[in-house]
Amino acid sequence: MTRPDRQKAERFVAHLEPIQRQLAVYCSRALNRSDETADVLQSAIANAFHDFDKYSEGTNFRAWMFRYVTLETLNRNRAASRLPSVLDEPHLSQPATLDIGAFRLETLLDDPEAVLDHCDGVVAQSIGELTEQERKILLLRAVGDFKYREIAEIMNIPMGTVMGLLSRARTQLRSKLLDYARQHGLLSKGDSA
Amino acid sequence: MNCQQARRHWDLYYDSEGDAELHFQLNEHLASCAGCAEWFDKQSRLESLIEQRLGSEAASEPSAEVDWSGVLAAAGVTPVVRSRSWMFFGSTILALAASLLVLVGLYGLPVLGDGSPSLSRLSAEVHQHVVTGSLRPEFESASDMEVDKYLLGKVSFPVRCPPRKDSGFAVSGAGLCEFSDQPAAYVVGTVDRRPVSIFVLPIESLDVFPRQRAELRREPLSACREGSTQMVFSIVDRNVVLVAGDVERSKLTRVLKSYGTYPHAL
Repeated sequence: MTRPDRQKAERFVAHLEPIQRQLAVYCSRALNRSDETADVLQSAIANAFHDFDKYSEGTNFRAWMFRYVTLETLNRNRAASRLPSVLDEPHLSQPATLDIGAFRLETLLDDPEAVLDHCDGVVAQSIGELTEQERKILLLRAVGDFKYREIAEIMNIPMGTVMGLLSRARTQLRSKLLDYARQHGLLSKGDSA
Repeated sequence: MNCQQARRHWDLYYDSEGDAELHFQLNEHLASCAGCAEWFDKQSRLESLIEQRLGSEAASEPSAEVDWSGVLAAAGVTPVVRSRSWMFFGSTILALAASLLVLVGLYGLPVLGDGSPSLSRLSAEVHQHVVTGSLRPEFESASDMEVDKYLLGKVSFPVRCPPRKDSGFAVSGAGLCEFSDQPAAYVVGTVDRRPVSIFVLPIESLDVFPRQRAELRREPLSACREGSTQMVFSIVDRNVVLVAGDVERSKLTRVLKSYGTYPHAL
């Protein structure tokens, strides 16, 4: 590796290191098959590193890098043509609509820890049942901590679409949690509504 | 703005999106409507917990644990790979501490892949102990002045409580701790009724936390996130001041800016 290449690599790694954890979690959750995480990250990083000369210092490297990972996960999910993974237990294949003010949601809101402490796997797998766009938008917001405008740029979609799909994704995820909680008796009262 | 309109905008409020006028109207409504204030709190709490789960490696598939050395090597960035980029901690460590003594003993552990400890991760862990109640401040008071007075003389560097009027921070107590053998003071309280912790260390501590020092050199007012805990930090009066909480970053920045006059560059 020549000296300029080494300097480029050092700058790239210096930018990358602080966001590695976020990238890995995001990539793992965005893929239909999380065992492809390292492979997808490798492809995304190779592409980003190749294009790193086009990156302007001082601009948003995090959003720039997430765009490569988002594209790569999208390509991988499409190439595999796999349906989103479906949970065997609990069965969550039919997302219910959720009235945000409904009483049964109140039971979850009153004691969310009682449900979520048992639901790490459910949360992780339930997002696999969202649409590709919903899942990525939710993850970019929740894991990447991006603003709506940044998500719109990363996904190359209008900001209004981001807002609508994020709200829908949140509602569906809560619905799945409620279903799981009801099926497993995690809500102590009023959970049959 | 009525209750229905306010609740329709919860997403924007929670995500700190939308314009200032909308937030002003929402805050006005929440100040006068206890029902909506409670509803917003509960929605935000649930969403924060979900985000915490989504953002944690512990809940990921095992395959999400990436060997970054291998990834970077395969991607053609090999020569500058310094070490394994991170280590996985989290739930096992969080489950251990129940007292300040345990905490102090514990905070040598979370380190970066290059062997240096992470101030943000340590701070986030202490903050979570405050949130869960496993760490109670040595001194409890809702008075800014009393907290200032308590801390005076306890540490060799100046620590103070940001004025509530400017910061929105309602103090509840303070204490002393250590991060990787570096003396630190903390002030705990709430912003919008959600826990917020302020950590103060002398600037010399950055020798032990090279990553944070590099970040502060790049950006005098730096920000990061550990799980659901947002953090902003800066240099104020020759001290490192870090504000952590499960609230919007803009609110933490307001607390930080109220703490000192303005952020200093390194």
